[in-house]
Amino acid sequence: MKDDLEKYIRLCIKNDREGQLKIYQLFSPVLYGICLKYMKNEDDAKDVFQEAFVIVFQKISQYKFEGSFEGWLKRIFINKLIETLNKKKKENFFLDVFDPDTDFVEEEELDAIPIEQEKLLEYIRDLPDQYRTVFNLYVFEKMKHKEIAELLKISEGTSKSNLNRAKHILQKRILSIKNFKIA
Amino acid sequence: MKKQNIEDIFSSMEDFSSVPPPELWSQIEEKLDKPKKKKRAILWWSAAACLLLGLSIPSVLHFNSTSGIKTLDNNNNVVLDKKNNDLNTNKTIPNQEINADKISTEQKSVVVDDKSSSINKSNESSTSQENQKTTVAHADAENKTNSDAITPTSKTGKTSTNPIVTKNAVATSAKENNFKLNRSNGFNTASKNQILSNDIKAANKALAEKTFNSGKANSFQSNSKNKLSNSIFEDQLNSKNTNNVAFNSSNSILNESAKQKNENFLPSKEIAGNQTSNSKFKDVLNKQDSIQLAELNNLEKGIVATESKEEKKNKTNSKAEKWAVEVFAGLANSENYKNDKTLGNANESKQGSTYGVKTKYKINKKWAVGSGFKINELGQTISKIAYTKTNSVAFMSSSDYFNQNASNATPQISTNHNYVFVSANTTNALKQNNIQSSSIQTGNLDQNLRYIEMPMEVSYAVFSKNKASINLNTGGFVGKLISNNMALNGQSIGENANANDFVYGSTLSSTLQYRVYKKTNVFVEPAMNYYMNPLNNQSFNQFQWGLNFGLNVSF
Repeated sequence: MKDDLEKYIRLCIKNDREGQLKIYQLFSPVLYGICLKYMKNEDDAKDVFQEAFVIVFQKISQYKFEGSFEGWLKRIFINKLIETLNKKKKENFFLDVFDPDTDFVEEEELDAIPIEQEKLLEYIRDLPDQYRTVFNLYVFEKMKHKEIAELLKISEGTSKSNLNRAKHILQKRILSIKNFKIA
Repeated sequence: MKKQNIEDIFSSMEDFSSVPPPELWSQIEEKLDKPKKKKRAILWWSAAACLLLGLSIPSVLHFNSTSGIKTLDNNNNVVLDKKNNDLNTNKTIPNQEINADKISTEQKSVVVDDKSSSINKSNESSTSQENQKTTVAHADAENKTNSDAITPTSKTGKTSTNPIVTKNAVATSAKENNFKLNRSNGFNTASKNQILSNDIKAANKALAEKTFNSGKANSFQSNSKNKLSNSIFEDQLNSKNTNNVAFNSSNSILNESAKQKNENFLPSKEIAGNQTSNSKFKDVLNKQDSIQLAELNNLEKGIVATESKEEKKNKTNSKAEKWAVEVFAGLANSENYKNDKTLGNANESKQGSTYGVKTKYKINKKWAVGSGFKINELGQTISKIAYTKTNSVAFMSSSDYFNQNASNATPQISTNHNYVFVSANTTNALKQNNIQSSSIQTGNLDQNLRYIEMPMEVSYAVFSKNKASINLNTGGFVGKLISNNMALNGQSIGENANANDFVYGSTLSSTLQYRVYKKTNVFVEPAMNYYMNPLNNQSFNQFQWGLNFGLNVSF
């Protein structure tokens, strides 16, 4: 399988459409899933997905067959997603202001009730852009606040604050569902 | 019931995947089929626009200033006061004549430098020899020529053998370096008329004043008996006479360009957490995509993730973007902040152009050093400077009084010695005595010194956000003179002989930069330069304001 992947990549380097389709078929679900998690609506996710995939095929010759190809793809996608979000910064810029209601709220442990992925995705996408971005990077990409701060060109404190606020909002949403279910 | 925190609840979303709508692939295909020329075209257009803007602005300003000179020329043909009816042979010289005059390389211009000369109305005029000449010369009260006096070498037997001594001399003392200034010079009653002429180089160059050829004894006396020969400022000397021009000037052109730029694109970060298993979320996917997903899962198993390795590599890459190359062009305005004067006329500012290339090395996030090469122009303009042409003006002979007393050669300023520049005080003195001369005209004297410079700069990033950045740059430069030009009314008359071959200076600038495409930036850079030593013994504009436009590519 690894040999097949390498073969497809080499075809892509030669700008072979069949190889590009293979790569697309292999990785598009994961990458499209990432786009859905980072963008507020599906149309924006589709746009970024297309643009990022075009970049992938344009830059695939830069892949040196070292390390994970999927990791390389994800990096391109996340960079593109953040670039797109930065362009919309006027509407999603978050002030780095201390908010006692959210910044230092103890994280409450919730009862383990299964929640569908569609619902969870909806909660994530309902978050404000920067909260959502920090949440995605921290929780799913396992990045540290320092790295997030560098990537988003914000302070480490802002990154922490945004993560806490995101968690707080999500917690409220989940609690409301559970309370509803209990009731 | 088991407790979970938020991260646990959302952990299932870590490997979330969703099959994209089928139409997306066709759209991607369309984009892949389109050539990637659009962005490159924008890049080249940006570069071309910057260079065009940088080069066109100085050109436009240059043409504007040239037209201004022409206007002045038309109004300044006659210098001397027309009210003086005693002068018989005053003539006005039209511009066409001036322009038609070609500068002979053998001819040498003469500058009469005068800081203060006063006319003593009690002077008596006198003429001597066959050719009666009245000289307007700078002289001491004691009628001694300064050591810097100019001695023209004349081939005319008359002038060489017959010292012209008139009692009515408009004595002018040399200014600063060229002549010793005698502020009490003037038309001295007690003094004898003197003809000032100096050998500039033992060779054949002489700076001198004017001798006036007159067939008749013409007086320009006002209340006195002073007389000038009829043809004032008419030349009896051959054009071969070597007359030197000396005048002081000091100006500086500052120019600078410093730039810095660079902003990392989004730093690449390793994304931790590869997808491990999508089987749990297959329900999210359409059935028709299940085959693709299965294949994907199989492939992923074969991929060994070396995230930490990639992370290190990415960090290295982001740090590797330390070098930047800049091309720039712009305009530079030389200023006379010290209020220097040349021959009593203020040195005025002058526009020039500048362009060059520069390399920068980023030491860290804030600091960078840079160097490169640029072509820069330092200049100054002297408006309404009085002058006369030596090929039509009688001059002093080598046996003149001044000539005989002259010991030191006057510093040579121009390689063309076709013109005699007269100080403002001299012309004023003549006017006060109602002396007219058709030979004295006024015009604009432009001086340009072009250098190839190598700056050494340090840059500090004071602001950097998204695509924009602001840097402060400071440093020094060394320049080599590559072009030296003096132009009178737009017509080249030679070079400034006092220009130093090498100049040194300091520079201060600010770079406003904006990223237009990935590692490519455009920038605007206001700058201020100071030149230490443009000329060795004259004043010249030394400050310079500059505005550069450029393109910066980091790598």
